[in-house]
Amino acid sequence: MKFADRIAEFSARRRRLVLAATAALTLFFGLGAALPSIWPETFPSLHGVEVDTDPENMLSADEPARVFHRETKADFGLSDIVVVGVVDDSRPEGVFHPKALADIYDLATYAKTLHWKDENGEDAGVVSVDLLAPSTVDDISQGGLGSVRFEWLMPEPPKTTEDALAIRDRAQRIPFLNGTLVSEDGRAIALYVPLTDKHLSYRIATALRERIATYAGTEQYHITGLPIAEDTFGVEMFKQMAISAPLAMLVIFLLMLWFFRRMALVVGPMILAMVSVIVTMGALVMAGKPVHIMSSMIPIFIMPIAVLDSVHLLSEFFDRYRATGDRLSTMRTVIDELFVPMLYTTLTSAAGFASLALTPIPPVQVFGAFVAFGILVAWILTVTLIPAYVMVLPARVFENFGATHDEGSASMLTRALRRVGPMTQRHPKAILGVAAVLLAIAGYGISRIVINDNPVKWFAAGHEIRVADEVLNEHFGGTYMAYLSLSAEDRAWDANVFASRLDQRLATRRRELVEDGAEDLAPAFDEMRALLPHAVARTKSRAEALDALDRIAQDKLDAAEDALAYSWDEVSTALSAERQADDVFKDPAVLRWIVGLQRYLGETGLVGKSSSIADVVQTVHRELFLGEQGQYRVPDTSAAVAQCLLTYQSSHPPDDLWQFVTPDYRRVSLWLQLTSGDNRDMVAVHDAVDAYVAEHAPPVPLHHEWFGLTHINVVWQGKMVVGMLESLAGAFVVVVLLMIGLFRSVLWGLLAMLPLTLTIALVYGVVGLIGKPYDMPVAVLSSLALGLAVDFAIHLLARARRVRREVGSWDRALPIMFDEPARAITRNAIVIAVGFLPLLFAPLVPYQTVGFLLAAILAVSGVATLLLLPAVITLLERFLFRGETKSVPPTTEEVSP
Amino acid sequence: MKLFIRAALLIGACAVPLAAQDEGAAKAMTVDEIVAESNRVAYYQGRDGRAQVKMEIVDAQDRTRVREMTILRRDDPAPAGADGKVPDGDDYCGKQRFYVRFRRPADVDKTTFLVWKNPGEDDDRWLFLPALDLVKRVSSADKRSSFVGSNFYYEDVSGRHTQADEHELVETTENYYVIESKPKDPKSVEFASYKTWIHKESFVVVKVEYRDEKGETYRTYEALAVESVQGYPTVTKAKMSDLRTKGSTTVEYSDVAYDIGLPEDIFTERYLRREPRKYMR
Repeated sequence: MKFADRIAEFSARRRRLVLAATAALTLFFGLGAALPSIWPETFPSLHGVEVDTDPENMLSADEPARVFHRETKADFGLSDIVVVGVVDDSRPEGVFHPKALADIYDLATYAKTLHWKDENGEDAGVVSVDLLAPSTVDDISQGGLGSVRFEWLMPEPPKTTEDALAIRDRAQRIPFLNGTLVSEDGRAIALYVPLTDKHLSYRIATALRERIATYAGTEQYHITGLPIAEDTFGVEMFKQMAISAPLAMLVIFLLMLWFFRRMALVVGPMILAMVSVIVTMGALVMAGKPVHIMSSMIPIFIMPIAVLDSVHLLSEFFDRYRATGDRLSTMRTVIDELFVPMLYTTLTSAAGFASLALTPIPPVQVFGAFVAFGILVAWILTVTLIPAYVMVLPARVFENFGATHDEGSASMLTRALRRVGPMTQRHPKAILGVAAVLLAIAGYGISRIVINDNPVKWFAAGHEIRVADEVLNEHFGGTYMAYLSLSAEDRAWDANVFASRLDQRLATRRRELVEDGAEDLAPAFDEMRALLPHAVARTKSRAEALDALDRIAQDKLDAAEDALAYSWDEVSTALSAERQADDVFKDPAVLRWIVGLQRYLGETGLVGKSSSIADVVQTVHRELFLGEQGQYRVPDTSAAVAQCLLTYQSSHPPDDLWQFVTPDYRRVSLWLQLTSGDNRDMVAVHDAVDAYVAEHAPPVPLHHEWFGLTHINVVWQGKMVVGMLESLAGAFVVVVLLMIGLFRSVLWGLLAMLPLTLTIALVYGVVGLIGKPYDMPVAVLSSLALGLAVDFAIHLLARARRVRREVGSWDRALPIMFDEPARAITRNAIVIAVGFLPLLFAPLVPYQTVGFLLAAILAVSGVATLLLLPAVITLLERFLFRGETKSVPPTTEEVSP
Repeated sequence: MKLFIRAALLIGACAVPLAAQDEGAAKAMTVDEIVAESNRVAYYQGRDGRAQVKMEIVDAQDRTRVREMTILRRDDPAPAGADGKVPDGDDYCGKQRFYVRFRRPADVDKTTFLVWKNPGEDDDRWLFLPALDLVKRVSSADKRSSFVGSNFYYEDVSGRHTQADEHELVETTENYYVIESKPKDPKSVEFASYKTWIHKESFVVVKVEYRDEKGETYRTYEALAVESVQGYPTVTKAKMSDLRTKGSTTVEYSDVAYDIGLPEDIFTERYLRREPRKYMR
């Protein structure tokens, strides 16, 4: 007995065992995932459901770009930010009136309280010291009598509209507040709420919304920023999993019911799909893998594939049962016939998804591996559970089985298919011609594909996050933060070079002092110069050498009296000057270079606003010189820059400075506010900076590198595009080899690849033509297209070979092929395509994309299989069936072309 | 806590005139008297004074910045009493002037601050930036802003007006008066209250905890070392920590001298550009 037969026999006879085993399996995986999720304390050793909506995790934790992002963020004390924009378009002055500012004041005060200790005793929630609001930032302005004044921009809510407008005017004078805190049009305010962890953004936003709901004004509050988009997505994703997947299942169920008219028969595949999904998701959770945006789609991918095979099986069973009236023998025949095609369709689909495990993106790897696993589970269930299920159904289900089946509205389909068959025979070249033209158009479309992604655009237009994003980017410089790190390159350490340079400095300083008439300050310089070579000889770094020299100077100073003490004090200062010689970002030339870079970026149109240490220096300089606009400039010496910064630090939040520059002045971060979070715009800004640096060399060698969430998205997208192409190519090769093996013929193998090649080309061609960006869901669907499109071809070709062998000629085989086999393929295509259309109504764009593309893939591959393959077989019959034509003599028609 | 104890021991070791007061008299003091005395000990000892100050600012990432400066102080003479005589003692705690000149880092060398402290009113403040050759008046309505980027506020350096808060003696321990103070004008300050530990014999402030509206401590001051200089109990090392930013600033005072006879004109704009070298060390 063949393996297929044995399985059919076993499943049918030991049906109760099969059913019990399936139920046990389902319970095991279902409970294994559910129990620790609901009662984590009771099951501490098991993994509960973990959600991960962080696109950063598209890169593994040790990915260099991510490590750099994390470390640099820490170096500059930057947090991920929730942006609360406040606008009021009903008033000319916008939100700058006492009532609105009182509410904004209240909101900022409230936001500062939203922190707590987490379970490890660490601070969690809002980083209150870094909160950016009118009441938490300093204003540098002109006081009375030509004095400079530092005070809170809004220490308390203003009482009059004039005062409110004065706050606006003052904020707009400060470059790093204008376009950031107060909109350039002077009508809106944005609060920047920094978080200890971006995953708290939904929680914080919810708390803020509750507070906002108590305000009675006409102004609107919009909450946005990448963290909130990502976190909100996670929350909505679960709603979608709970709605979309069951809805798709329901539609599939109704359609199958319409086709087969037998509740009992249709319930089988539905149970099968459900079990496959529960087992797969249960395994995912039990394996401790988080449910990521990708893995949340696993049910949606497994369902059509799981249903596919069982529909083929039942459709065939359905058609044959009428003739035999014997369940067991019919099932055995059907399994025997479909076993190999089903095995191969499963292997190819699984191969398509398993290939995703080769991508460098961890969530995609998990997704691919588990979908492949689910497909294998579905296959095992198809050949075991379905026969068992058919056998346990009560006999009355099968009464009048054939009679009612033939064939109300379904006959429409049958009739249509009967007309299609001959057409493929009469106009094979025309069909191939059309396919070739379509392929050419697809090629053009593919060439126009735009690779892009933007987590904010994962929400459908009209979603509050999209609205907030649009409104705020209209008013402000931009709400997408990108950061450019510029760092000075360290010089190689050479004690001799250092010693001679410092000796020079000491000699110069000594001469200056003597020239100033302070001869009494010279002696310590002479002593230090004498000690210098020996003191630094064995040091290993600049810092170590300077520390050693500082200690010498300090000891000498402590021991000295009067003039000599002053002399050693001067030496200490000279050493300090040497230490500061490497403070690159106090160098006026370097700061002016940054000013130029910022101006240039502003002109690209992509960067709404940029802020840097240079803005701070220039603003302080202006206010020190009576606030005259002409004094908005970088002063001429490093010391002048340092003194401007010292002045700035006499403000309320002095540590703000370190968000722009490290305390050693060897590294700065440039804050860019992009008006768009599209990856392609971020890439354009990358290119712009590269071009600028190439054309305008900085005064000292600087290393530039990006960080920030917007940049991270670009990095993983780059990996995804390449990774997906590689995995698609890999899967393609595996499938070709499987096909050649299955049909034991290179020609047949290549033939089987035709529909899927056309399908993938057309789907991506259309994506390119309609300008839909190539993003994560689109990329992943290529694997599904590969798996599904080849399924139809396998079923059709396997049957075609068998039927052709039985009847002896393609001519005679064709009508048979366009009866049951074509019907099964068409039903399948329709069921699944229509079944996933409900996804189009999801409020999350990735789900819409998947729904639309799934439908398109099934439609195209179904049509391609039914038209293209028979047409090619018609043309190539001689080569395809070489050596098989003996049993029945060919008709003249068949041999003549 | 170890440092706290060490500071306490050091204070105990000091020979302080006030410590000679008998216990009974000390106990009888009102809270305002305690606060006034501790204010005097902290800011008004001697008629003038000088110290070399080394300030080490450490942030949450352990990055350290060092600032070195010289501070000169001179108290205004007490006003003449009703009898037309100027009181002889050192008890007057009124206006005083500070002169702060940076030495290092080198690029802020010679940068100078001048403060005329007017208790109960706005101070007068000037700033000299040598690299910009600029003397500038600084408006100082708000004294609770950072002193040159450290965790100390201007008000910590020059002293908070004792009348700005309501004080309450909440506890008297073996060694300390523990006083809780609440601002009379809560909007003018960032704290909701602060608690001060004042050494009973020396009246040195050993610890201060600033609390927010939630009652959480977010900022602490600790005296880390106290020495007797010319008979005056003098804090020679202190630390201000910000528990929110996790940064802290430690100041060390060396070469401390009192009653050095600083002339009044040093504390004028004229000396901002030209250092009174004779008095600096």
